[in-house]
Amino acid sequence: MMNVLQNIKNMGILVLIFFSFQFLAAEDLKDSIPTSPESLHNYEAYFCDACGCASSGGSMGFSTVGDQNFFGTRYIYQQYRSRSGIFNDSPWIDEHFNTLQLWGNIPISEKIKVSAILPFHFHNRDFPDGSAQEISGLGDISVIAFYNLIAPYVDGFLPEQQKALKHSLDAGLGVKMPTGNYKRENNAGSVNPGFQAGTGSWDLIAAASYTMSYNSWGANLNANYTWKTENDQQYEFGDQTNYGLLFYRNFSWVAMEKVVPVSILPFGGIAGEIYAENRNFGQPVQETAGDILFGKLGFEAGYGKLSVGANLMLPITQNLNKGAIEASHRIGFQLNYSL
Amino acid sequence: MKTNIFKLALIAMITILASCSNDDEMNNELTGTNDLVIEFDNGVNGDDLILGASSYINSNGESLKIDRFNYVVSNFVLIDAEGNEYVYPKNESYFVISEEAGETEVILKDIPARKYTAIKFGIGVDQKKYQQGAEGQGDFLSIAEAHNMMWSWQAGYKFLNFEGQFTSASVTEATNFKVHMGSHGSSLDNYKEVNLDLNTQALVSSELSPIVHLMVDANKVLDGQHKIKLSEKAVVMVDEVKSPQVAENLTGMFLVDHVHNGDASGH
Repeated sequence: MMNVLQNIKNMGILVLIFFSFQFLAAEDLKDSIPTSPESLHNYEAYFCDACGCASSGGSMGFSTVGDQNFFGTRYIYQQYRSRSGIFNDSPWIDEHFNTLQLWGNIPISEKIKVSAILPFHFHNRDFPDGSAQEISGLGDISVIAFYNLIAPYVDGFLPEQQKALKHSLDAGLGVKMPTGNYKRENNAGSVNPGFQAGTGSWDLIAAASYTMSYNSWGANLNANYTWKTENDQQYEFGDQTNYGLLFYRNFSWVAMEKVVPVSILPFGGIAGEIYAENRNFGQPVQETAGDILFGKLGFEAGYGKLSVGANLMLPITQNLNKGAIEASHRIGFQLNYSL
Repeated sequence: MKTNIFKLALIAMITILASCSNDDEMNNELTGTNDLVIEFDNGVNGDDLILGASSYINSNGESLKIDRFNYVVSNFVLIDAEGNEYVYPKNESYFVISEEAGETEVILKDIPARKYTAIKFGIGVDQKKYQQGAEGQGDFLSIAEAHNMMWSWQAGYKFLNFEGQFTSASVTEATNFKVHMGSHGSSLDNYKEVNLDLNTQALVSSELSPIVHLMVDANKVLDGQHKIKLSEKAVVMVDEVKSPQVAENLTGMFLVDHVHNGDASGH
């Protein structure tokens, strides 16, 4: 697995091909097509998609920066290390979190869409004594219903029907279900409490996403909060706040020969996570609160109904479990099909 | 209309979530007895203590390499959330913590189910126990002897056996040091008590066996509230001035790192 990951890293990440919007007007061919605000409903489905929602909760964020309704698959790799003891010089445990997700946004009505994530986890870690541990299986399924509060303006064919400045706002509520396996033994000692396939708890998610664009430039601001409850083994992961700000530019055109829309959309920004303290049998678990801020860079690219994307997240500042857990980086790849 | 549905869903979900709140469900249901384990995780200046390994420099400007770190802990008392004290049976309540022997756990057995918020214990052997005479010591006498924690019966127990090598500005050759601290027979009582609040309540029940994980800082022996220089005296034994200072320093070397609640095997 490590070799594969190494290779992925060495590939240099990013750059692929994604597609943009079906509703392109033929008249716009020569110019880059203005980004439809509708395109950027990347409400950052941070909701514990990558692992057990503790310090390692994967706020990969997702940017189907091009497309509102789709289904597809995404791969996320996260690397952490955590202390195996209580001392400054206690050895580190290297932790590798691999997640494969089936995900999609499905429209229910004009104003409502449902976003769902079905994750599978393949995690492993290497202990200082040379031994290793693996856990794998279905993770926690998340379903969020989003309601469109500010509808994006849709350009018409005529110049007077087109706007340079557009914006949109979505808000949603959802649940994360305890479909992933939570094992108390995995929470051993000072080791990362997030080394789990799931939190074992029913959690409530509230999310909001605001997008503003000007011609081909755009920005997305989003935040979400997960209320976590106690699981049936009396462990409760701390509530989690995620936020992000991404800037992007959309380069789109139509491939002339086949009349297929093509787009490339690079983006960059920040993504942060804040964790409240975990509780065990109703008692606070020392030093499980923390926060981390990532810088994020990526691309999405589309061709016809198919799109691919990649992004890289590197920590800017972090304070997880009072320094006993350190995030190294995250990498995401996605392949989607527009509905 | 859709907005109303949205609001309704929001209210419904918040209600469901609120009803899942469960702080007090199990609090009064603790029954039975179980072990409570206290882990004495020995370190030095924030690092792990590895005997005979590399040296470190303390705030006295002396460089120490520690070869032995043994001490006696005793008379354990557990205090619960209501302030009730559970006194562990005195005859069973004497332990040697020895880094060289790898004996760093105190296992208190048959502890009644409760939520404990503090622990109290002694460093060394109290006069009352000592005055019970050799036959009153039970197994502990032979345990102490096996770990080099006895001078002689007349001189009594060593509460601390701390040995190694040091250098300083004035002592540039690596020189052996020995700090053996105890009560001097019954003439000087160096037995001390330590009170530690637990940052997380330790839950004991027939299903729950907590571990109280203490970080113990060997540096505090000489570099605590009293600064004791080995360059002044490399062998501190039965010293009427320095031994009581060492005893007081030891009371500051225990820190509750965390409490692990659950089945003790999961730590």
